Amino acid sequence: MIGACKVIKDLPKGGQKTVQLAEHPEVGSVVIKRGEIRSFTSLERIKREVELLSELKSEYYPQQYQFNIEVKKKEFEIVEDYIEGKVLREVMGDYRSSKEIFKLLSSITKGLSIIWNRNIVHRDLKPENIIIRPNGVPCIIDLGIARFIDLESLTKTISPMGPCTPIYAAPEQLTNSKALIDPRTDFFGLGIIALELFLGVHPFDPAVVGNHFSIVENIFQNKYAVESISVTKDSAMVDFASKTLQTQPYNRFRNGTMLNDFIAKYI
Amino acid sequence: MRVYHQTGFRDKWNIESFQKGIGDGIIFSPINIDADKLLALEPKLKQTGFLDPQLYLLNEAKGTLDTYPYFPGNIKPDFSTPDLDYSHIQLAELCVDYQVKNDFQYLLIPTRYYADNPSSFFIQSTDYFVTPFCDTVKEKGIDKSILLSVIVKEIMLSDEEKRNEVLNWITGHQDINGVYLIFENNFSTKQVKDFEYLLNVLRFIKVLKDNQLEIHIGYTNTEALIFSITMPASVTMGSYENLRSFGIKRFQELENGRMRAPRARLYSSKLLQWVDYQYIEAMRELMPSYEEYFDDSEYRPLMFEPEYNWHFQKPEPYKHYFHVFNNQIKSLPRRQSERIDFIKTTILNAIELYRNIEKNVLLDDDSNGSHLPTWFNVINAFQKELNG
Repeated sequence: MIGACKVIKDLPKGGQKTVQLAEHPEVGSVVIKRGEIRSFTSLERIKREVELLSELKSEYYPQQYQFNIEVKKKEFEIVEDYIEGKVLREVMGDYRSSKEIFKLLSSITKGLSIIWNRNIVHRDLKPENIIIRPNGVPCIIDLGIARFIDLESLTKTISPMGPCTPIYAAPEQLTNSKALIDPRTDFFGLGIIALELFLGVHPFDPAVVGNHFSIVENIFQNKYAVESISVTKDSAMVDFASKTLQTQPYNRFRNGTMLNDFIAKYI
Repeated sequence: MRVYHQTGFRDKWNIESFQKGIGDGIIFSPINIDADKLLALEPKLKQTGFLDPQLYLLNEAKGTLDTYPYFPGNIKPDFSTPDLDYSHIQLAELCVDYQVKNDFQYLLIPTRYYADNPSSFFIQSTDYFVTPFCDTVKEKGIDKSILLSVIVKEIMLSDEEKRNEVLNWITGHQDINGVYLIFENNFSTKQVKDFEYLLNVLRFIKVLKDNQLEIHIGYTNTEALIFSITMPASVTMGSYENLRSFGIKRFQELENGRMRAPRARLYSSKLLQWVDYQYIEAMRELMPSYEEYFDDSEYRPLMFEPEYNWHFQKPEPYKHYFHVFNNQIKSLPRRQSERIDFIKTTILNAIELYRNIEKNVLLDDDSNGSHLPTWFNVINAFQKELNG
């Protein structure tokens, strides 16, 4: 398939991967990702992501077309659907009222429920990993560090921190408490995204919290803002934050159903 | 809120009471009833109750436990923890099958007992019991609610790290509908009088309720009334003390030392206490209205005959308790705030009654109301947190 693709342009790099936009005569616009296989673990993570995406076939996730490994060169290449739209980071201003935010969250969690029901945790939810399609449907990308609970963990127990983007990570990721990783870990990331949309600033940002700690330090201390100088607090957002941004997972929503039921009340 | 019979030795008394309409169901105890005998019991006795699989100690064949197909010693003689590596699926299947055959209302996931829970306890429990059990239920397409059994040790309530660990573990299971909680009781007193402990129990249950789990509390004594303010699905009533307070000794083949016969006691819903019969006899001598402090039942006339020979092995005091306690639980208001106020008033009334009694008869700490001030304070503290 890759041979039939005509490269159009280079896109911004995704992690350690080079990314190119290309055109395929049958499926249309595709993305070609290439990267180095640095270890058995990284290869296993890539394989798990590719296998999952090729099984999902959902508009909430990019469709996978091809996966090749060059054993000698220690390289891989993936061909996947090009998602038209804008990353959430670019259009955050479109979602400011709690109703608009919950509507978006409802759609995102509909997509996430597909993987949660398979005992998979995304572990890297952030505005950069959500593309809003032209029809408004979010597409969730980059399952490269997803945790497959039913499969053997690929994270070293001695690592001080688990795989994550630290400023969007739940405390259990930051402390590499592997046994605690489950869908409630993703709820924490969703809580941050929701409040960031509402406030226009990261809720654990010291500038809005009013202290001198870093965002990660504030996550550890569970210090976050629900209002700012320019944004008055909203009771629904406060309730949502109190059921997602808790240090202990048992104080968050227990499962996707409870989370979705809560969101449904506000849309 | 339901009241289950926590059965054990002399489960006949529980069954007879249940057949008279007392209690909502029966929790069966494999060490006390043969597996085939349980299978042969009439379905009505089982359909509203459940079986506690009692796999607390893997290879202790106490009583009739080894008549159960899932008893590990029946899978392999001298079964030990490493054997679970290859037989956990078989064990789960046998355990599920036996429970399904009996058509109980709930399916119980077994748990193990450790004096000191090792750090691997929760991971092993998930791998050896919870996952294979839930997978079996799914694969067989069984449509029954699943309860996870959990023995809650005192340290899991008092130590923050342990508490977080157990609560995160329980709430992390997506396929369970509820929890069968067993609070280990190492107190030397008949009633629990520890403020911090009781308040921590209430907080613990509240977390699980907030997680929308159905809560069934086993091995409860009178403190079931305090626990009721967390709005659990059920509490229990048992005959002998070891069915109203959980200790692992009951499941060990060799109990240390000789058992001392306990003194017969009578439960009073007005005094919120089991009163030693010797004090009842003293009250009869010294207080003409002594009967007012005790509840009525079909067993009371016989027990209050002067020639009644009180003995802990006689059925009347226990059957009386089942009747009285069941009514007491059923009389609790359904709304949480009203229930809290109701129980506080009941405690204050009991304290007042004790004042009257102790003008004439002095009681020891296991028959008097010395637990009641603590209970009142615990409820007040929990109420404050709820309203906070």
